[in-house]
Amino acid sequence: MIIVGVTGFVVFAVQDPAMTTQDSTQTQVNAVTKMQAGHDSSGPDAATQELKPASKQNTNVSEYEIVLPGVSEKNISLANPTKVELTCKLDENSNLKNPQVTWKKGSETISHTSKTQNSWTIELTISGSRELGSYTCILKAEKEVSATFHLHVPIIDGREKPIIAYEGDRAVMVCTTVYSPKAWTWYMTNGTELVPIDKMLPADKFHIKMPSISINRLEIVKLTREDCGVYWCEAAFELGPSKSRFELRVLSIAAPLKPFIAVVAEVTILLCTIVLYEVYSKRKAKGGEKQFDQIEKLSEDNVTGRSK
Amino acid sequence: MPAPAEAGRAPGAPDGGWGWVVVFGAFVSIGFAYAFPKGLAIFFKEIQDFFGTSYSEIAWVSSIMLATTYGAALHLAAPRVAHRDLDGELEPLGVQLMANELVLEQVAAVANFKFQVGGPISSILVNRYGSRPVVMFGGLLCGVGMISAAFCTSILQLYICVGFITALRKRNGVCKLSTWTDASLDVLSSCFNTQPLLKSEAEAANFKANCKVTCTAHSTTSVVAEEDDVISCAGFGLALNLQPSVIIIGKYFLRRRPIANGLAMAGSPVMLCTLAPLNQFLFDNFGWRGSFLILGAILLNCCVAGALFRPIGAGTAQVKTQVTEEGKDALKGKITEDGLMENKTEEEGEKDCFEKVNQYLDFSLFKHRGFLIYLIGNVLMFLGFFAPIVFLAPYAKHTGIDEYSAAFLLSILAMVDMVARPTTGIIANSKWVRPRIQYFFSFAIAFNGACHLLCPLASSYSGLIVYSSFFGLAFGMVCAMLFETLMDLVGAARFTSAVGLVTIAECCTILLGPPIGGIIIDTFGDYKYMFIKCGAVMVLAGTFLFIMNYYNYRMLAKEEKERKAKEEDPKYVRTENEGKKTWNKDSTQDGPELEPLREKGEGLKKEMNGTNEV
Repeated sequence: MIIVGVTGFVVFAVQDPAMTTQDSTQTQVNAVTKMQAGHDSSGPDAATQELKPASKQNTNVSEYEIVLPGVSEKNISLANPTKVELTCKLDENSNLKNPQVTWKKGSETISHTSKTQNSWTIELTISGSRELGSYTCILKAEKEVSATFHLHVPIIDGREKPIIAYEGDRAVMVCTTVYSPKAWTWYMTNGTELVPIDKMLPADKFHIKMPSISINRLEIVKLTREDCGVYWCEAAFELGPSKSRFELRVLSIAAPLKPFIAVVAEVTILLCTIVLYEVYSKRKAKGGEKQFDQIEKLSEDNVTGRSK
Repeated sequence: MPAPAEAGRAPGAPDGGWGWVVVFGAFVSIGFAYAFPKGLAIFFKEIQDFFGTSYSEIAWVSSIMLATTYGAALHLAAPRVAHRDLDGELEPLGVQLMANELVLEQVAAVANFKFQVGGPISSILVNRYGSRPVVMFGGLLCGVGMISAAFCTSILQLYICVGFITALRKRNGVCKLSTWTDASLDVLSSCFNTQPLLKSEAEAANFKANCKVTCTAHSTTSVVAEEDDVISCAGFGLALNLQPSVIIIGKYFLRRRPIANGLAMAGSPVMLCTLAPLNQFLFDNFGWRGSFLILGAILLNCCVAGALFRPIGAGTAQVKTQVTEEGKDALKGKITEDGLMENKTEEEGEKDCFEKVNQYLDFSLFKHRGFLIYLIGNVLMFLGFFAPIVFLAPYAKHTGIDEYSAAFLLSILAMVDMVARPTTGIIANSKWVRPRIQYFFSFAIAFNGACHLLCPLASSYSGLIVYSSFFGLAFGMVCAMLFETLMDLVGAARFTSAVGLVTIAECCTILLGPPIGGIIIDTFGDYKYMFIKCGAVMVLAGTFLFIMNYYNYRMLAKEEKERKAKEEDPKYVRTENEGKKTWNKDSTQDGPELEPLREKGEGLKKEMNGTNEV
């Protein structure tokens, strides 16, 4: 089995290193998304849910849709310039009839691109960070219903909880994302300002590695107490940068030693108690047995004495 | 002159008193053995990030690991992803999660494989030294391993330290979409990511008409293990904990043995429920190094549990106590027989070589009918036993349930399991079930299988909750009786060797399970077929055990009748007594002649009393 497995693995481990660079130059995202009312997406999930490979007919346009009434917000992550179609669709069973629909971004009104019986669409060309933001469609009839599409740069994955490391050891922070950013930068907080780590600081203290285009790794060695603080990882996409926060806490070695010694002490105490109890109960048993044997012996002597 | 008989007690099996303390010790010990490795899963991601291991490193290290087949599993686990190209639209099937499944099952399988390897070794050690030293040594080994793991500076060291105790890492990697085939169902190999395939597709993002997924198995540090993935793995130290605990229960209990077994096995879910939040707390406050240090100290509690396992039966004061006068109870008689045999064995100075080997690991068990039945049934059962637990959370996530609710399903399972095990023990001990305990065991296995077969019908969250509760119940029932039935079949004396041999045999199926599952998944491409496969296998195992045990009981009854007919013959009794005396001088080898004595609730042991008084 092992042999088969190994060959299998070798066969499948065909690599195409050129792919790495090719991916990063990819600028088109082909996606057709049909969202159901029940699925609200936010954060990285939005990215994963929304971006499905497109059908062959539509090229270079991503379509997103909200069905009302229902979930009224949608987060859309965009890394590269693209064309986007946002659709607000009215459910057939809804009470609203022939509403007035306006699309707004902030205070600015946008005109429809297309309109059907009960769906209203706008088409946007996102070429820079200005075009990102929140787009709302407002349906006004007897009552007013609205839905919002939040277009933003992808959120990158970091660590919400503090990273705990020890003095003299090293700390590792890994930033990942689904997309392929153009560049990565790490920042240290110095008071309130962000200081990029890259070159100015001692080279042997900070190691930055990039295992792949979508993963970036900061390693801080020879930790000291002063290294505590907040670090930022920034990925630069064509449509703008995106940041993620890491908190580093450096503990001294003594910190876990206290509970450790407490538990070891508890174990030792319990072991001693058990051993002592066993010795004690054995002694008692022996004492009892001695008595018992003596009684037996006496009664035997009696019997033998009598029989003689 | 015989000392007065101890009222109502069979020597060698107190059935109470210190026995309950031993049950508590076994509870702790078994709990650590099963639950501890699962609890370590939350550390994997951090450790993997920390060491920045590449796949090739993991594979190399794991291939050389002692007493494991990490390498086999990881190489076997070429996760498969099938992409169906439907009218140009890529359908990322739940098939993608197939990849996860296959690896998970193989991971679980290999993990359990380690248990199997530790099994026979601990059997041999227990045969030689008794339960207590082995458990204490096992606990010490675990503790030391974890503590040294806290100071590791490389992944190799970590494997050597912790590898003895735990931890299996899942493969990780990143899929890059480079070319696409137009075939309808193309099984391709790729690494997998914990996020569904979409993530990797999006990442590649250069989808063309003819694309093929290739696996870039170069270095990547994206970690794959999640907190709620149940990876059951125990290393050597913990395997040394498990077997002796079960063995010593068999020595301390006879009439109440099912209850004792049920209570002791309940340690596993209880420990899991305590360790999971505890590990999370430790991790949040001390990082992984500090947590390992503290967990190492906590593992030393296994030594404490082991210290409670006072030796019994061999060469102790029990030898002097008189065999019961009543002797009508077959159970007592059997234990008398065993106790005497054990005692006389200890007292004998010289044995020949064959007997010596048999004393370490009793290979004559392979002639034992009941043992063979149990072995085959178990081997069948393990083909589908562990997989559903491993896949429950991924399956739940696949049906759209969020991570926390999926984790909650496992908690429900553990809760029900916790209650089910002692309850099963009590039920199995009742006078209706105890004589027919093998039937109860087969029923439990078949019930388990039925649950899995019905699982695909549960698509909503509430359906899955119902499934989890029933699964927890069934799982607890089977686990509680797993060792009890073996003890019932072969008797406490040979149980030590029996359990070792069973674990050796199980390891083959445990390695076979995943590839079979993988083939099925590749053919059908859906999660639910995994459940159907497991369910079918278990129902089959349950039915097999039921039928074979029916046959076994009948044979035992027949042999009992023959034996009774023979002992009516007075001439035979005397020769038999002498024959039995020579028997007792031999090793623990049990011939088929003694099988009828294993009958519960039947049989007379008058001649046994006769033998002893002679």
